[in-house]
Amino acid sequence: MSTLLLIDDEEGIRKVLSLSLRKDGYQVLTAENGGKGLESFRRNLPRVVLTDIKMPGMDGIEVLKIIKQIEPDTEVIVITGHGELELAIQALQLGASDFITKPVSDEALSIALKRAEQKLEMKRRLKEYTHDLESMVKAATDELRRRYEFEDKLIQASIDGIVATNEKGSVLIFNEGASRIFGYSRLEAIRGMDIEDLYPAEIAREIKEGLYGRKYGEEHIFRWKEINVKVKDGQEMPVRFSGAILYEKEEVVGSVGFLQDLKEIKRLEQDLIESERLAAIGQTVAGLAHCVKNILYGLKGGVYVVNTAFKSNNPEQLKTGWDMVNRNIGKVSDLVMDLLNYSKEREPDYQRCFLNTIAGDVCDLMDLAAQEVGVKIIRNFDQAIGEVALDPKGIHRCVLNLVSNAIDACHFDLDRKKDCVVEVKTALEDKDTVVIEVSDNGCGMDEEVKNKIFTSFFSTKSGAGTGLGLLVTQKIIKEHGGTITVESEPGKGSTFAIRLPLRENF
Amino acid sequence: MGKKVLVVDDDADVRTFVTTVVETNGYTPIVATNGEEAMAKVRGDKPDLIVLDVLMPRESGIRMYRELKTDDALKTIPVVILSGIAKRTFLRSQAALTEFGGQAVPEPVAYLEKPTEPEELAGTIKKILG
Repeated sequence: MSTLLLIDDEEGIRKVLSLSLRKDGYQVLTAENGGKGLESFRRNLPRVVLTDIKMPGMDGIEVLKIIKQIEPDTEVIVITGHGELELAIQALQLGASDFITKPVSDEALSIALKRAEQKLEMKRRLKEYTHDLESMVKAATDELRRRYEFEDKLIQASIDGIVATNEKGSVLIFNEGASRIFGYSRLEAIRGMDIEDLYPAEIAREIKEGLYGRKYGEEHIFRWKEINVKVKDGQEMPVRFSGAILYEKEEVVGSVGFLQDLKEIKRLEQDLIESERLAAIGQTVAGLAHCVKNILYGLKGGVYVVNTAFKSNNPEQLKTGWDMVNRNIGKVSDLVMDLLNYSKEREPDYQRCFLNTIAGDVCDLMDLAAQEVGVKIIRNFDQAIGEVALDPKGIHRCVLNLVSNAIDACHFDLDRKKDCVVEVKTALEDKDTVVIEVSDNGCGMDEEVKNKIFTSFFSTKSGAGTGLGLLVTQKIIKEHGGTITVESEPGKGSTFAIRLPLRENF
Repeated sequence: MGKKVLVVDDDADVRTFVTTVVETNGYTPIVATNGEEAMAKVRGDKPDLIVLDVLMPRESGIRMYRELKTDDALKTIPVVILSGIAKRTFLRSQAALTEFGGQAVPEPVAYLEKPTEPEELAGTIKKILG
């Protein structure tokens, strides 16, 4: 039930109206003047106030003003005497919702009250609606803020550097990852830095071209690539970079770049290479020690045989011992030469020369050694090969290694019923490539041996080889930018092929 | 003619050295360059002692030693191992073969790691053959 405050100085009116209003279902509070009325209003906060204007002391206009200050939503209906229209208008201007004139009729009062009720109801709904709207806006704003904060945190928390710019290329977002990479603080970066201050010129130009739409319609995503960025102390820092031009409805709004610090990765790579190198050195030293030990054993053996021969005055034995000493001195010198060749990091000494002449020299040199073990060397040279640019000494060494291996392969072959042949073949494969092929029909290799021939100190020659020959050969060929390949079958023989690119200028 | 010593090694220098030591000390050397050849000579020439290398092509000393020591007719021939690999490694390989299902074989009567001094080798042979 609604509460209503009735302020009137005439007791008769208060009584009559109260009765009538109570009958209409209101709970009626009455007051006989403005001061008491306001007191009652403050205590009960009725939603509707009915007040006479002309009252002794505080008049109705004053009461209206104060009530509107206290609770602006209150519906105040003023009661005016006949012909007091101006007062009524003043009251309306001050926020009264309605007026009724004396003598007050039940109908007029009832209508005024109904309108007041309706207004109150509308105000309530409006308030509810406004409140809903406000809370909806607040919720949406909160959500937006949460998302913004979340995204901001996401950007800040990223280990990768993130740099976003506006459509002109000025930095807007610069996260901690970017600070770590570049050395600039976020504030330094967003107060006037440009992508040109951060990225290498070509990347900055590409992004700017994207921003200014000179290449509009092209996809502006920069795939991951390794670049060096300029950091605060003037040094360069290796990073992996990717980026994109940002569009909003086909309008360029900015750019974003993602950067990954490669310094650490590079450092780890370096460490790995270093440890592999140390492991390789360890293996090499072990292999070398074994190799030297064997040669030393041969030398000591030789010396012992020589000494024995002296004591027993046996010239034949003396020759055997002396041969051993010589052979092992030869091995030491081979080993040292191979090691030097292998360890030296060098550019081939390119000279104009004839490949066929080099191959021919090797064959001539090895003919005698081959004949001694019953092997025939066949020369098969392509006369189309003219003067070429090679390191003649290096290539000579490679061919010599292959030919001497081929002779050994025949020599080691147990099936000596077949005629052993080593073929040295040269060919112009195409206008840019020459091939040198050395093949034999000796013992051949199984897969296991084939897989090991290019490793250091691997030898199947029972102490007669250094285990470095093919390694040195491979190294020289690589230095020429060429390749060496091998095909082999146990019992059938092996073919080694060297392919060398021909140089235009040298 | 002194007692016969079979020298098995794929390295010519080692063979020359060992045979010279053997000869100088009054024994008769026989040589073989791999395990296969050596087994044939063991059966044919009946040596009194075998000086055996371990790492050889075709048939290794590890297998040949096992063959000798599991053959009733040959197991009494003393074998001196002369090798670039350590004794421990050789014994471990024999133990592994035994575990693999083979018969346990005794340790060689002597094991010399290369490089060996001639006196040491001569002394070892003398101690065995008397």
